[in-house]
Amino acid sequence: MAAASVTQGAAARRRQLLLLAPGVIWMLLFLVLPLAMMVYVSFWTQTTFAIKPDLTTKSWEAFFSSTTYVEALLRTLRIWLTVLVITLLIGYPTALFIGQFVRDKTVQTVLLVTCVIPFWTSFLIRVLAWRPMLGKEGAINIVLMKLGIIDAPIEALLFSELSVIIGMVQIYVVFMVGPIAFMLARIDPSLIEAARDLGASAWTIFRRILLPLSLPGVVVGAIFVSVMVLGEFATASALSGRKVNLLGNIIVTQVGSLKWAFAAVAGVILTIVTALVVTLLLRVVNLRREL
Amino acid sequence: MHHLKFLRGGLAVYTALFIAFLYGPFVVMGILSFQKGPEGGPQFPILEWSTYWYRHVLGFAPPSRVAPLPIGEALVRSLTLAFATMVVSTVLGTLTAQAFRERFRGSGLVFYLVVLGMIVPGVLLGLGMALLANNLGIDRNWWSTAFVLHVVYTYPFAFLVMLAIFNRFDRSVEEASWMLGVTPARTFRKVTFPMIFPGVLSAMLFAFTLSYDEFPRTLFTAGSDVTMPIAIYGTFAVEIHPNLFAFGVLTTLFSFALLSVYGILMALSVRRARMRATGIQEEIA
Repeated sequence: MAAASVTQGAAARRRQLLLLAPGVIWMLLFLVLPLAMMVYVSFWTQTTFAIKPDLTTKSWEAFFSSTTYVEALLRTLRIWLTVLVITLLIGYPTALFIGQFVRDKTVQTVLLVTCVIPFWTSFLIRVLAWRPMLGKEGAINIVLMKLGIIDAPIEALLFSELSVIIGMVQIYVVFMVGPIAFMLARIDPSLIEAARDLGASAWTIFRRILLPLSLPGVVVGAIFVSVMVLGEFATASALSGRKVNLLGNIIVTQVGSLKWAFAAVAGVILTIVTALVVTLLLRVVNLRREL
Repeated sequence: MHHLKFLRGGLAVYTALFIAFLYGPFVVMGILSFQKGPEGGPQFPILEWSTYWYRHVLGFAPPSRVAPLPIGEALVRSLTLAFATMVVSTVLGTLTAQAFRERFRGSGLVFYLVVLGMIVPGVLLGLGMALLANNLGIDRNWWSTAFVLHVVYTYPFAFLVMLAIFNRFDRSVEEASWMLGVTPARTFRKVTFPMIFPGVLSAMLFAFTLSYDEFPRTLFTAGSDVTMPIAIYGTFAVEIHPNLFAFGVLTTLFSFALLSVYGILMALSVRRARMRATGIQEEIA
């Protein structure tokens, strides 16, 4: 009997291994290996036309001694933090409305789907659509001038850091709204009723119940937004007229001029930054326990 | 109670404004796609309403100084790639989620390894894969190096969707089938699969749309035969014309068609399940 259950256990384990193997092998080969290769190549020797596997830290020194690249790193961090804070600030009230004030499940779904519909247009075309919005003769300037709020068009709207931030906020804010609305909708209504019966004000209910219970959603949203903004380069190159260079833009430019080792250095730095940000965010709440 | 109503109204107005913000550029794009062609540019004012740019995208317009979008082949490639990605990532996601139904040692590690695929910025994977291919002497093609990265990106989504489905799944039905001596393969086909089908459909939808619009992972890995997003990216460098906006409107309509198919399949599967359930009940009665 015992022997039978042991062989049965072994068979089950073998079956589980077979189920896991394809996915794990795929990820090791096409996810872990490329990233390892990138780290490795960042220490190769770059010549004008090629890279050689002679290990050196030259590319690293070149990166940190160039003000252009260090500035790009700082700019990436600045834009990431700005976009993250803005998406949270303008996304949270919407999530609060959808998750807490709309009690009808169908209306909730309709509102969320409405937010997601723009995603059915190609990402790059959505980015480009900001140009006629923000340009000197763009929709926003025309409307503001018609309303008499401004006399001359605001030129800083397009081809500046501001336009990159506006574009990114619009594209990524939904990733913040979704998870927060989901967490808020899961809160037991009787909890809030009880708090209200005990005389808690709306502000107290928000601060003591809604905010803490929606925190896992905030963290998930923040991870989504952070990861996407840190790896960005298309929005920056489309809306800044190549004036705003992020780490991603450096990678693209360096690959374009076949400076692979240098691109790899920028890539490793971006990996480290992303890993730090995600770890930091995961410190806020224990996601595996909360979800 | 009074100010709560006030708060609710305020938030409703805010949400409406928020949605307007999400749709703003989209509406402007729609309007400008009807710009006069080929002279009109991608900005206001509209010189004259026309459908010129739509005809331009579809190849019906007479040749002009604006080069036609290189869409034909790129579109076919993107659709093929999205389809292949969808199939492979859904299969992988289902297999892995199936394994996660029983506890095992190292499950946390495997979980994070898979989820990492959707967290690593795309440009890094593209770069790493390009370096790997270069040094192994492998050609970079949309159907090889780009394809495997697309799966790395979409497989975690499929896995998470299937994990959620299996979590809400009643095991005893499957066990009953095994007890009756039905083989595991047949049980999967006849019992498990019909129950997880809605999840499979969602996973497929996720994978297809993510792959179809995937750009940073493809940029360095697609080689010379470009996919649709890369073709659009190519127009960034030069002047943009309203034909891109007309194309954007057309692809959005296409996406809606796809979404409708998904909705119909979903509704059908729900109805069939309900009908089967009532049928069984009648038999019992």
